[in-house]
Amino acid sequence: MIKRNSPMRRRERIWLVLPLALLVFPFLLLPLLLGLFESLTNYGPLQPHPQFVGLANYAAVFRTPDFAASWRNILIMVTVAVPLELAIGIGLGYLLREPFRGRAFLRVVFLLPWLVSPIANGAMWHFLLSQQVGMLSYFAAWFGMDFYSPLASVTWALPTAIATDVWRNAPFACFLLFPGLLAIPPELWEFATLEGASVFAQIRYIVLPWLMPLLLAVALLLVGSTLGTFDDVLILTGGGPGSATVTPALYSYLQAFQFALWPAGVTAAWLIVASMILIALVYLRLTRVEAAA
Amino acid sequence: MSWRAQRARGKWLRAFLLVLAGVIFLAPVLWTLAASLGVMPDNSHAPPSWFASPSLEHYAEIGALTPTFAQALETGTWVAAAATGLTIVVAYLAAYALAGARFRRRWFVVQGFLILASVPVMAYALPLLSIVRTARLYDTFVGVVAANSAGFAPLAAYILYGYLAQVPPELEQAARLEGATLWQILWRVVVPLTVSGVAATAVIVFVLNWNLLLVPMILSETQIKTIPILMTDFFRLEREIDWQSAAAVLTVSLAPLLALLAVTHRLLDHFTLTAVQSIE
Repeated sequence: MIKRNSPMRRRERIWLVLPLALLVFPFLLLPLLLGLFESLTNYGPLQPHPQFVGLANYAAVFRTPDFAASWRNILIMVTVAVPLELAIGIGLGYLLREPFRGRAFLRVVFLLPWLVSPIANGAMWHFLLSQQVGMLSYFAAWFGMDFYSPLASVTWALPTAIATDVWRNAPFACFLLFPGLLAIPPELWEFATLEGASVFAQIRYIVLPWLMPLLLAVALLLVGSTLGTFDDVLILTGGGPGSATVTPALYSYLQAFQFALWPAGVTAAWLIVASMILIALVYLRLTRVEAAA
Repeated sequence: MSWRAQRARGKWLRAFLLVLAGVIFLAPVLWTLAASLGVMPDNSHAPPSWFASPSLEHYAEIGALTPTFAQALETGTWVAAAATGLTIVVAYLAAYALAGARFRRRWFVVQGFLILASVPVMAYALPLLSIVRTARLYDTFVGVVAANSAGFAPLAAYILYGYLAQVPPELEQAARLEGATLWQILWRVVVPLTVSGVAATAVIVFVLNWNLLLVPMILSETQIKTIPILMTDFFRLEREIDWQSAAAVLTVSLAPLLALLAVTHRLLDHFTLTAVQSIE
């Protein structure tokens, strides 16, 4: 059922979509599907004649202790980091919404951490948290306190990795959410001011309902990027101490390239795809509910 | 408390919170910049002291520590530029086709772009390597650029759809009645109306490409060494590297993006994710 509102013919539309399809199919969709098949075989660079092995790879992966740790860690990362990033993004956007002198400059400063690549971010915080030349250690020394890098602690390594992730991603969340906050009709703010609504009431009854579709989209992007956490921890902790900060992406990479266990790597990676499918279904459900409301 | 006093208090609170956020976002970068110039603290005694011998020698040392740094800057720029160009062109055309058509499943296609955009690279990187090897594109510029572009094209298509859906169809209809071809309509009518949005999207996609580690790391061995790859090798192999040299490497790797942000920040004010509102 096609209702034309633009004078575009069907054949023209196909030509327009074709380049994207030719790029995305072999380099994105096909590997996503192929991962499922590879995970059910013993395929690998050293195994030219793969055989079907059923769920054996999954059983093998589930048995390794680091695998459970990686999913425990990523679950904590996603549930802590993403809401924090969204909250900081909304909060900063709320503070920036009225024009003032220096706002343009602040918006640039507020995007700066996102420019630091995940790999550079890990390396930078490795030094910033060090005892000798670090930033936190400097302030601790003022108060005569001892400071040891939290990255060496089994308890504190994961919260620290999350904090560096929030430092880098919250600015991007703010950048994406800010235009949505600006689009809120001024009458709503005036009404809230006249009513004497508190900040929290304004956020609850004006910002959130108005921002919801955008907020869900940004949340999906952030969940996806956090789920794939790899370069962020590669230098920062290397997944350690022990398996305190190992993530599914890092686990998959190490299995494939460090331990030469290609099927285990592919299988662990395909579980990331499977969880993305679940997350996507939840996202679609939430946006449809939102659209119907 | 009077209304006026409350307002004044709100203003001060806002200024305080904004400055605090600015300091938190800026301080780590400034700390690194200072160290790269030879200014760093000595925290071994209380109160800590500063160790300052300002010089540019650590920048000069980059060449000796990582001889391929200049090469990586060049490779990284070409990869990011080519992948950004390819991404924007294919995503723009597809988003235009989608914005021009009205069919019931369009909502799913647009949301599908966003879902694909949020899939992390490691989820499909290993099978991607199998495909790229089979296609004999392993360790080539074309292979890395194609894989980078495929990864970011859904995001670009989602963003660009938001701009294209706002172009009034009457303009295109009028041009078509005048006898203009599809390409003329695109180039003369639609592109000029969306050019600032396209440019802002291109800046974001360029930054994502510049910072992408996994695709060039897995799909190449020696040929395509971008800055993130170089930094990974550098920091993994030399853990005991001194902080000033590390800081100099970090600063130089960030500098091109800082320059880009300085030049394009007015453009980025036009950036919006309006696709969510344009779907009905």
